[in-house]
Amino acid sequence: MLANAFKTLALAALVVFPFAVSSPYYLHLLVVIMIYSVVTLGLDVVFGYTGEVSVGHAALFGIGAYTAGVLAFQLGIGFWWALPLGIVITAGFGALLALPALRVTGPYLAMVTLAFGTIVQILINEMTFLTEGPLGISLKRPVVFDWRPLADTLPFLKMSAKKMADVQFYYVVVIALVVTLVVISRLLASRYGRAFEALRDSPIACDCMGVSVYKHKVLAFVISAGFAGLGGVLFSYSELYIAPNNFGFDLSITFLLAVTMGGRKSRIGPIIGAAVVVFLPNLLADINMFRIAAGVVAVVAVAGGGIHMLRKPEQRARTAIPVALCLAFFVFAMFLERITDYKLTIFGMMILFVVFYLPNGIYGFLRAALPAGRTGGAVAGNEDAAWGTAAAASGGAALLQVDQILMQFGGLKALDRVDLSVRAGTVHGLIGPNGSGKSTMMNVLTGIYAPTAGGVKFLGQEVAGHTPSEIAGRGIARTFQNVQLFSELTLLENVMVGLQHSYSGSMADAALRTPRERREENAARDRAAGLLRFVGLDAVAHEEARNLPYGKQRLLEIARALALDPQLLLLDEPAAGLTAPDIQDLMRIIRKIRDHGITMVLIEHHMDVVMSVCDTVSVLDFGQKIAEGTPAVVQKDEKVLAAYLGGSHDTVAA
Amino acid sequence: MEILGQLIVSGIAVGMIYGVIAFGYQLTFATSKTLNFGQGEALMLGSLVGWSLVAVTGYLLMLPIVLAFGLLQGAIVERLGVRQAIKTKSEAGWIMATIALGIIFRNLAENIWGRDALKFPSPLPEAPLSFAGINVLPMELAIVVGAIAMMVAVEVFNRRSIYGRAVVATAGDRDAAGLVGVNTSLVITFSYALSSLAAAFAGVLIAPVTLTGATMGGVLGLKGFAVAIIGGLSSGFGVVVGGLILGITENLTGFYLSTGYKDVPGLLLLLLVLSLKPSGLFGKAAIKKV
Repeated sequence: MLANAFKTLALAALVVFPFAVSSPYYLHLLVVIMIYSVVTLGLDVVFGYTGEVSVGHAALFGIGAYTAGVLAFQLGIGFWWALPLGIVITAGFGALLALPALRVTGPYLAMVTLAFGTIVQILINEMTFLTEGPLGISLKRPVVFDWRPLADTLPFLKMSAKKMADVQFYYVVVIALVVTLVVISRLLASRYGRAFEALRDSPIACDCMGVSVYKHKVLAFVISAGFAGLGGVLFSYSELYIAPNNFGFDLSITFLLAVTMGGRKSRIGPIIGAAVVVFLPNLLADINMFRIAAGVVAVVAVAGGGIHMLRKPEQRARTAIPVALCLAFFVFAMFLERITDYKLTIFGMMILFVVFYLPNGIYGFLRAALPAGRTGGAVAGNEDAAWGTAAAASGGAALLQVDQILMQFGGLKALDRVDLSVRAGTVHGLIGPNGSGKSTMMNVLTGIYAPTAGGVKFLGQEVAGHTPSEIAGRGIARTFQNVQLFSELTLLENVMVGLQHSYSGSMADAALRTPRERREENAARDRAAGLLRFVGLDAVAHEEARNLPYGKQRLLEIARALALDPQLLLLDEPAAGLTAPDIQDLMRIIRKIRDHGITMVLIEHHMDVVMSVCDTVSVLDFGQKIAEGTPAVVQKDEKVLAAYLGGSHDTVAA
Repeated sequence: MEILGQLIVSGIAVGMIYGVIAFGYQLTFATSKTLNFGQGEALMLGSLVGWSLVAVTGYLLMLPIVLAFGLLQGAIVERLGVRQAIKTKSEAGWIMATIALGIIFRNLAENIWGRDALKFPSPLPEAPLSFAGINVLPMELAIVVGAIAMMVAVEVFNRRSIYGRAVVATAGDRDAAGLVGVNTSLVITFSYALSSLAAAFAGVLIAPVTLTGATMGGVLGLKGFAVAIIGGLSSGFGVVVGGLILGITENLTGFYLSTGYKDVPGLLLLLLVLSLKPSGLFGKAAIKKV
């Protein structure tokens, strides 16, 4: 309610602004803030949600601007064509960068985008035949709609032709900002947003849920580039003159600073940040203004820090540092004589301060001061809705056939030519002492490792060497020995990440929230609620996953894996760390899953669990299979006893 | 043919400098999975400090002081920009912090040494030597020898000394090294110090051939990125080859195409290598652990 009122009010203020404030200077300033907001909102998708750093958004912004400039200058094509073309071309460049740079994890995207930023500036300078080089390109402001006849009846519309063009362009930018806000909000609230957050929390689990981390990171970057392009086109028509120097490295850093300072992972944060960085040059141009600003910051820091110290005395030392820094900064401002010389030093110090003492930004800081919004809550889950349509496998036939698998790490053979045959509809136990190769087997089966030799056939098709998300898509789901949840998502959202496969709509459906998207989202929500009900977690469905006790986290992993509609479910030590009553629950759940026709491979150290739920048990030791059979047979096997208790059969018997 | 030879020879000298910068990235990436986005500025500072000293002390006495300065500068970068970000496991944190420090260093250098390029006096004769019609500056030879000597010295230190083994152990597995008593955060500080030392050294090697000045760092730091990715962030040998490939390609592009486009092949090579072999030409693919 409150949020809606705020939105309406903000929009109304933007609409009446050109008539309330007559100064063209402030109109232009607001336009620039809105254009920067379009870019920073887009940047937040990459930087805030997926956690990748782009140091090249100024270049993408420049590509958008130059698309508009070149189209107008060389071909005489105007604003309305430049708008879509600028977005598409910039998104294309984004794909060109992201496709190679995101193949590896690490700081590669930052390195590549930094290089890209420099090269783009050089190319704009050099390719004079296209861009006029350092001379830059001038444009004419488009007049969309000639309202002069109308102005006779509505006196407040009376204005000069120039002002009319300015005001109209202002509204174009307002519309662009609103569209940006709506599209980004909807995308981030959809399965795409969930994937972006999930891949940051646990990339491996994300891949194993059939949600390709690589694909979604590239997607996020391309979306982000598209908005940078939109911002660029608007920028070229707001400034009416563009030159290569407008799009340098410092601007890229400014965008990053804006998102961080305003507050990542929010809509309002990047807008606050954009407003601050647009005012920043004005602030840094005048020494008196700068001194006043530094004084205000110091006063706020002392007040805020003082309150914080009173509330949490144990953090006194940690709070004192930023407060002291703010005071020192104020003293520095008083002694500073020529501010222009040290502009960049001040800029750099601001970045450092924000990164280390305001990591959640201004908005994050304010939100932390207010009472918490999202807390735990229940959903009404119907267990019958939980089960998908995956064909229940009939007993007997081999669902999974592992053939002479060899997994070598340097000289170590973690799996040494192991065969494994899992019959459909059964629970197949995989046991062995620590380091015997059980988890390696899991990782080979789910595509995290490509085996050195040998094959894995699932439903008669080879899966060894395929990517984890492909294998997950074919119907193999898993849980993890060291729990891999999407810790910042709620329980419900965790399960819904596993349900990505149930959507058939496109990204456009998600961005526009079409009826189809809503239908699919509701269906997924119901199923997720049902699955949570099945594992007994529906009462805390809206709690963040990281707040769950350990034993419940394991159950949530099972619910999430079931969301994939798997034919084969791999459980990696599901009972580890569970209390006795939790283990009883777990065994009940495992039996129920089997009753629904889902085949399972169970790695477990709790022998009572293994013995009571498994139909067949295979035993690994030092990467080799040493025994196989029914639990009762394996339990008495001499080699197994020797492997577990050490020594030869003789000592065990004695 | 002679022109081609000439272009290749002078490309080698520049390429070795790129290699040394990339080597600096490798040192810190190995121990902490982070690297200094202000590495070019470390080079620039070393070079300018050297420029101020060389008139007083001469080239040889200036070297150890510049190296010591590099160590100190690197340690400062790690303490101010990287340490806290590593603790909070924030990728964005260290990237932005090292960029910010780079901006600050550049701005301070502009205020101390001015904005103009400065001529660095050459310690060796400036008349070129001629081999089969190809001219080689004595300083270019010194660059190649000096760069290789420095990388070998660091490698020997890492393999032979107990301190070096602490570095290698931290690179292998930071947690395990910590458990056996290695002060891993000190090792990371040290790797940053070494990395800046390498950059500062590269700065005083290259300055007599090019010019020096507050803005020299940015582009060189970028070239180092390209080389580190082309050669592989985890391969010591790779950066030498990567540096040579880039240095020579740039010279050829500059001559046969246009000097304006000289910096473009770096990015293209970088994207190409990432598409074909993401771990770099000589890098090993990392094994994910679950």
